[in-house]
Amino acid sequence: MKHVNKRLCKIVDEVFTYFLNIGANDITVNFKDKDDHYQINLKCNYTSMNKKKLDKLIKYINHPKSEEMEEYYWELAGESDIDTELTLVGMMTDDKTIEVTEDTIEIKLKRYKKS
Amino acid sequence: MEPNNKIKITVITIYAASLVAFGFIVDTPYEIAAGLLRILTRPDTLVTDYIGVGGMGAAFVNSGLLTLMFIFILYKLKLNYSGVTIAALFTISGFAFFGKNIVNVWVIVLGVFVYARFQKEKFAKYVYIALFGTALSPLVTEILFSDIWSLSMRIVVSVLIGLAVGFILPPLSTFLLRAHQGFNLYNIGFTAGIIGTMFVSVFKSYGFFPESQMIWSTGNNFTIACYLAVVFISMIVAGFYLDRDSLSKLKNIFEYPGRLIEDFVFLEGIGPTLVNMGLNGIIATTYVIIVRGAINGPTLAGIFTIVGFSAFGKHCRNIIPIFIGVFLGSLTKVWAINDPAILLAALFGTCLAPIAGEFGWIYGVIAGFVHSSVVLNVGILHGGTNLYNNGFSAGLVAAFLVPVINAFRKEEVE
Repeated sequence: MKHVNKRLCKIVDEVFTYFLNIGANDITVNFKDKDDHYQINLKCNYTSMNKKKLDKLIKYINHPKSEEMEEYYWELAGESDIDTELTLVGMMTDDKTIEVTEDTIEIKLKRYKKS
Repeated sequence: MEPNNKIKITVITIYAASLVAFGFIVDTPYEIAAGLLRILTRPDTLVTDYIGVGGMGAAFVNSGLLTLMFIFILYKLKLNYSGVTIAALFTISGFAFFGKNIVNVWVIVLGVFVYARFQKEKFAKYVYIALFGTALSPLVTEILFSDIWSLSMRIVVSVLIGLAVGFILPPLSTFLLRAHQGFNLYNIGFTAGIIGTMFVSVFKSYGFFPESQMIWSTGNNFTIACYLAVVFISMIVAGFYLDRDSLSKLKNIFEYPGRLIEDFVFLEGIGPTLVNMGLNGIIATTYVIIVRGAINGPTLAGIFTIVGFSAFGKHCRNIIPIFIGVFLGSLTKVWAINDPAILLAALFGTCLAPIAGEFGWIYGVIAGFVHSSVVLNVGILHGGTNLYNNGFSAGLVAAFLVPVINAFRKEEVE
């Protein structure tokens, strides 16, 4: 696969942009290169987030992995600050967990090195 | 494969098979065979209406067979059907009335396959690029059926060019997405326009000039409209049958901007997506009839492409502003609303629907207005070898308009 590092950066970029757009001012990004996968954890604070927005976030991120969609559209991730490509994040990752508390959102993403 | 994938495959296969069945209803097997022979043995540069070349039966059979072949390939690759699958298959069905046929598409598909092998990847990863990329099939037949060299030389050169096109499509199509940021739904059209321009420029340097043509059939509106009415109404009925909540979910579909990637099959399910497809098919067909245009191969391509992309970004709220933009253009510009090129500009120009969906209807009208002029001016660059000429134009329009609109208006993410 080509542009492995850039694709990882795009995943972070997309989620990071989303966090900024919902008004987060405290964001943590943790990246680990493990033997068989990459682990990307992103956490942010938030002040106001209605249920509809939260449901959308969960729905988009939980898009099943889709290599054929990733291969064509991965360049779009993180490109726009007026709309999201969070479904692409779902398509580009194998496992995803979203933990929401009263004032934080944490997204844990796992991307295997070999499909 | 996910469990309800079988339902999606069955539904799409029925529609593909209905094209073949309709072909055999309107023409005899002998007429169809003779018509197919005419379709398969001539250049396909814009505008080649297969109904005009081979007759209605042959054109419908070509469309149905080609779609069934690609459905079989997707089945063997064990792909889950998503919005882009439906968009790709209906685009194939549509353009099989107007430049793609059961022979000329395969060299480009093979080129994409060779690229996948070169990258040591599965072909499945690139299959959508291969499906959409068949837009450049006329580049192959233009050389194959010219009179510049001996037949063996023409076969070798046209195959090499088809393979080269297929090989360079994947990296280019992905890279060029950034130019319009997903606001042009026909991204491969934009890519194919760039590739076509490069190749034709080299051709011209060696004294070979691809020739555009205008084969445009008329007089079949009633017959084809009857077929389309059955297809689109059945989509709406099937959609409600598969999901009783289709109406409320359809309202959700209307809320999406439609920018790449918005997969309505994943977001709302196959039921409401089918209703949206049927609805948009009726709107597109009604538009052609209202402006007194011809329902023929090229306009069928436009209608089917709208229907396909109604699973992947288009809905009535974001396509109607584009129609209005093209219509307003016809009131002030030098052409008529039902001129062939303008009719196609309105139908295919709906690939700019995300501009209306994201920024509002007025920007959609502006996009349609600008597109209807740009599209008339870019075909000469690729000599009619890119069947998605409107996608090429729309890429330029989106790349031009989106930054300008953003300069005046910026909104928070939803």
